[in-house]
Amino acid sequence: MNARANGSRMKNMARAILTDIHFWIPAIVLSGGLWVLYWIR
Amino acid sequence: MDSLSAETSSPIPDGSLESKRLRKLEIAGILAGFSAGAWLGAAEAPTKLVNLGISPVMVSLLMVGGVFLARWSVPALVRGTTQMWTDVRQAPHLILWGVLAGCLWAVANTLTILAIRNIGLSIAFPLWNLNSLLGILWGWLLFHELRGSGRIQWLSVVGGAAVMFCGATLLAMASSAQTGSATATRGILAALAAGALWGTMYIPYRKAYLTGMNPLSFVAFFTIGELGMMLVLALLEAGGAVALWRQLAQAKDVLFWLMLGGFVWVIGDIFQQYAAKYLGISRGIPLSNTNQLWGLLWGLFVFGELHGMAAGHYARVIGGSLLMAIGAGAIALASVTRAEHAHWRVAAEREALRYGIAEEFLNSGLTESKPGSAVGISSRSWLDWVLVAIASGIFVYLAAVARTPQIRFDWPALILLSLALLASLLATALVLFRTTRFQ
Repeated sequence: MNARANGSRMKNMARAILTDIHFWIPAIVLSGGLWVLYWIR
Repeated sequence: MDSLSAETSSPIPDGSLESKRLRKLEIAGILAGFSAGAWLGAAEAPTKLVNLGISPVMVSLLMVGGVFLARWSVPALVRGTTQMWTDVRQAPHLILWGVLAGCLWAVANTLTILAIRNIGLSIAFPLWNLNSLLGILWGWLLFHELRGSGRIQWLSVVGGAAVMFCGATLLAMASSAQTGSATATRGILAALAAGALWGTMYIPYRKAYLTGMNPLSFVAFFTIGELGMMLVLALLEAGGAVALWRQLAQAKDVLFWLMLGGFVWVIGDIFQQYAAKYLGISRGIPLSNTNQLWGLLWGLFVFGELHGMAAGHYARVIGGSLLMAIGAGAIALASVTRAEHAHWRVAAEREALRYGIAEEFLNSGLTESKPGSAVGISSRSWLDWVLVAIASGIFVYLAAVARTPQIRFDWPALILLSLALLASLLATALVLFRTTRFQ
């Protein structure tokens, strides 16, 4: 029961993160920064 | 968005947001913001003692090494790591945001080194200093900061940040070696990208503190992202683990000074985290950006930089410093109204709903961490003392093998600035302890 509840909690958390604009903005900016770094060097 | 509607639509019962309590937290946040500026500005001083013959990425990696050690020892000493595990249980999703913020910092820091190399400090610094304006935008757009504020607050914060930007530009022009190059476009792009990364890094900061996380817990995860990302960048640059190890071994006698820089930086960053927590990112970040002023003071008086410069340079230094002080003062005086606090609360409850955070945890971190409450009590275990012992041992060893600096500096100025730093540390720590028990 506990394992199922934990699994469900993790799934809910992953869904909440992946649908959160607060995650995507920093993630996209980080990708852009890495690309600039790669391009410059 | 007017104050009246914000007050009436607030989910908080009357009297729970006591003005006195909020004012105390705000004063603690303002002090933390100014102290952050002082310590972040001083962080470069130890690195100036090193006659660098190693790559900028390696310098950054070693400073981050010091940051990592300090962050896993200072929080352990101040509050113990037990609080961290409590925070993780309550809001496990914030681990991801801590790591993400650390990655953003590491990439931004590396980009600034490349920007300075390509376009010089005078152009690069003001460009990446735009991060505070971006921080204000994210604070307003995503976390309801400045909403419900009057025009005076708006004018003070945005105008103050703009004045500080002008001051920073003047200071950067004065302290620059004017190293222009043909690769200007790349340098400008690097500086702008660094500003965007640092400005966006405050999204995770604010997200953590709206939902009640302790700054000392957040920085612990921040360092994992920071060190991990920096290690990857250094490995790529060195061309493998063996080559990186060889470079580290060659730099053995300067490791202490670079790591000391990281240690000083951590104290500044912890204060910056408290400023972001109690003032929001729109006010806290511009205040801690006074670090440039402190960096200049160290360079000017301790290391004798800009010695014998032309009158125009002095005018830029004085003018830039005054503008920085005026801008910071305006932001510090733009107090957070009860209406704005109600909007912060709405943003916090949105987070609590999305991630299933308990109301009690939310309240304990946001405004109600009164001294003596259960959440404010620290406890240290054997693990904390082991962490402190390991970090201290590494620092003592590196100090023992470090080379004595071959640079001349002004002792009275060094002592005076160090005393000012210690005074700011003691005063801010005392206020934070009395007001929040470092919550």
